[in-house]
Amino acid sequence: MKDGDPMADFEQPPLSPVRQPPQGGPSTVPQAPRGFARGLSGAAVLAALTLACAAAPLMADGSTIRRLDADPVAAALLDGRGSLSFALLAAVLGGLAGIVWALLAFLLGALRGDPARRRSIAAAERLAGLPLALLVPAAGGLFGGLWPLALVTAATAAPAVAVLAHAEISALTRAEFLNAARAAALPEPAVMRRHLVPNALRPLLAAATLALPRVLAAESFASLLGLGLPPTLGSWGASVGLAARLGDPLGLAPPALLLALALWSACAVADAAVAGSRKP
Amino acid sequence: MNLITARAAPLETDALTLMVEDHVLLDRATLQVERGEVLAVTGGAGAGKTALLGVLADQPLPGVDAAGRARVDGRRLLIAQGGQLAPRRPLALQVAEVVGHHLGIDLRSALRRMADGLDRMGVPAAARRFDLPPEQISQSLRWACLFAMAAAVGPAVLLADSPCAGLDPTVRLRLLHRLADWARAEGVALLLAGRPEDRVDGPADRVLRLRHGRLVPDSAVPPERSAPASPPVGHEMPGSALLRARTVGMAYPLSPGPKGEPRELTVLHGVDLDLRAGETVALLGETGSAKATLARALLCLPPPTAGSVAWMGRDMVPAAVPAASAAEADQAGLRRTRRDLQPLFPDPAASFDPSMTIAAQFAVALESLRPDIPASQRALRIAEALAAAGLPDGTAERWPAGLTAAEAARAGLARALLSGPRALVADEPAATLSAEERSGFLDTLRVVRDHHRLSLVVATEQFAEGLRDADRGIVLLAGHVVESAAAGILLTAPLHPYSRAMLAASRGERPALEGDAPSGLAQPAGCPLRRRCPLARDFCAQAMPPLEEVSPGHRVACHYWDAPEGGAADGA
Repeated sequence: MKDGDPMADFEQPPLSPVRQPPQGGPSTVPQAPRGFARGLSGAAVLAALTLACAAAPLMADGSTIRRLDADPVAAALLDGRGSLSFALLAAVLGGLAGIVWALLAFLLGALRGDPARRRSIAAAERLAGLPLALLVPAAGGLFGGLWPLALVTAATAAPAVAVLAHAEISALTRAEFLNAARAAALPEPAVMRRHLVPNALRPLLAAATLALPRVLAAESFASLLGLGLPPTLGSWGASVGLAARLGDPLGLAPPALLLALALWSACAVADAAVAGSRKP
Repeated sequence: MNLITARAAPLETDALTLMVEDHVLLDRATLQVERGEVLAVTGGAGAGKTALLGVLADQPLPGVDAAGRARVDGRRLLIAQGGQLAPRRPLALQVAEVVGHHLGIDLRSALRRMADGLDRMGVPAAARRFDLPPEQISQSLRWACLFAMAAAVGPAVLLADSPCAGLDPTVRLRLLHRLADWARAEGVALLLAGRPEDRVDGPADRVLRLRHGRLVPDSAVPPERSAPASPPVGHEMPGSALLRARTVGMAYPLSPGPKGEPRELTVLHGVDLDLRAGETVALLGETGSAKATLARALLCLPPPTAGSVAWMGRDMVPAAVPAASAAEADQAGLRRTRRDLQPLFPDPAASFDPSMTIAAQFAVALESLRPDIPASQRALRIAEALAAAGLPDGTAERWPAGLTAAEAARAGLARALLSGPRALVADEPAATLSAEERSGFLDTLRVVRDHHRLSLVVATEQFAEGLRDADRGIVLLAGHVVESAAAGILLTAPLHPYSRAMLAASRGERPALEGDAPSGLAQPAGCPLRRRCPLARDFCAQAMPPLEEVSPGHRVACHYWDAPEGGAADGA
């Protein structure tokens, strides 16, 4: 066996999976993209979490939804309402901002030439490399308030979305089927309307999902420091921080676990969406 | 049984049968490779070459069941498909590991053996950068390194799966011949498996074809394509040019230079081309020759940056420039031109919008190109085009992602035929196909051309295949035309060394060119071929040779096309 195969360590084994026999008819079962199962379970977990948080008031003994006397799990689920809805709000804002950024870059490129487009995306790339999440607790401390915090959180997620959205659209603008449409004498606006826009929607949505785990993590971090969401809203990060300060392991575990679960599932959904929207 | 002939062949199979579930991939194959013999096994995609080599190398693919007997004596090596090395590890370490693993020698001796192997593969000393990781060396050098590594180990049996696939034909054949020479000299049993159009059979002593699960000797198979009756078609040759391209050039902008001056990379240098009615012109060239760029420029997709392309006397370039707020009249003219002049794309599957069915895309194209056809007639027209391309009716309702490569190629042809064109410009139309699928598609293309009396421009790197049905060939090298002549002349007596090498490679012979094509960003001064050319002399560095007519209709751009090959290399 030692003799058998020398270069196996260095060459990926030949690997086109064995192809279907030509006579047997090509298999038409579409291949699920990589990470599809993980994305699906992430989406299921996220949906279950959202439902559980939405239904949490029903579990808190009916009458009162005061957090301090509720049992830790119910309290953590109540906190989830604040965390998740804020994350959704900031993610929508951040995703939109990122997409608009990428589209503006293309518009700028069309009006002012290609270097302008590249410069605006290079700016997004540089920003995406900075630890922007630190701005969120700073904003929480300086302004308080829900909306300023949401805007700043969204802004921290936007550059990464913009970079990915731009990459997806520029790959799409080089697609051969656009040339085929031009060869059919379709004018440029019709090429965009009929071919570019329908094919751009999915990758853009996928890019926007990147914002969700980012804003969730940023908000939890800020709340953990006590500089995040207003205390009335409740947040996993704030509960973890409070329990840690009080030395209360029973109070700490449920929000920490739920937060970890939510972060994992948001990441899984974003990864699968991005991988699935990409052409093999 | 003659006992005196004694030593058995190092590689032998007896009634070897490979099954994938209940499908027979290989049916009772019996083959034998002697010491110093080179055997080629050719077959199309999915024919079972990789599975066969996997079993012979004692690492069967998952899911493949083998029955029968396969015997390999001595050390065996498999060079797997794709020729991958670990991309980021310095070459020297990988060599030391592989060679050291087999021979138990240290790094220094391993590298010495490797250097020896590289000599055998004709790699110049300056190119031996053992400290580079494979991702930083060219693809052809990577293959040469793999071959040299195999030579350093010195196996009794070497199995190579699709060796040098993806390299230019001249480079591929040069390396394969070197490998075969080494095997013969060292008495190694060498088995090359690959697609027939890759000409792995060129250097082989014996060729077996893998078809429908049977291994058959090459001679037992009818030639892939019935050779066309030799004046290819009976169309009237002379006639005014339908498509007339003059000094077509293409340049791409580069980032500004250090002083902010604009820079550009010129890939196509003032090419002239006439396409007459019913004529077929082959654009021949390897990677970087700008044949595809020229094909696209003829279609104005995108329009060339210099020169003019006129269809029936109407210049397309001004109307096709996207920024030009072209007048309505221009757009209408461009539309008429596009109706007459349709493309075939190199990757047909990618040329279909994944979010629309075939029928929907065809309808859009038809609506745009042929507004004269009423909407009620469109379905009929689409069905006709699909039938002409050899596709069943139901294809119209399918999604592009569900088409096989062969179906996508035919669907691409059907789309090109929709508008009733007068000329097709095809850029490597069969690049995604292999073996029978490939020849079947090219046959269909030829039939369609003859039936509709189409003019055809085909850009391809397959020299002989491209010229077989063509009237005229134009050989491109680094954006220059270096030879243009009637197809028959190019197939029998090309004069430019580049054309000769491409012809030799397409016949499986050893091309007389060394090294790789230079990158477009670092073209040598003078003739772009001079560092590889057997005829090169000092003067070649001084000027790009002009295209001169050496006989009626035959033009060559070479300073020394009439010099005997081989005698000039020393600059005497």
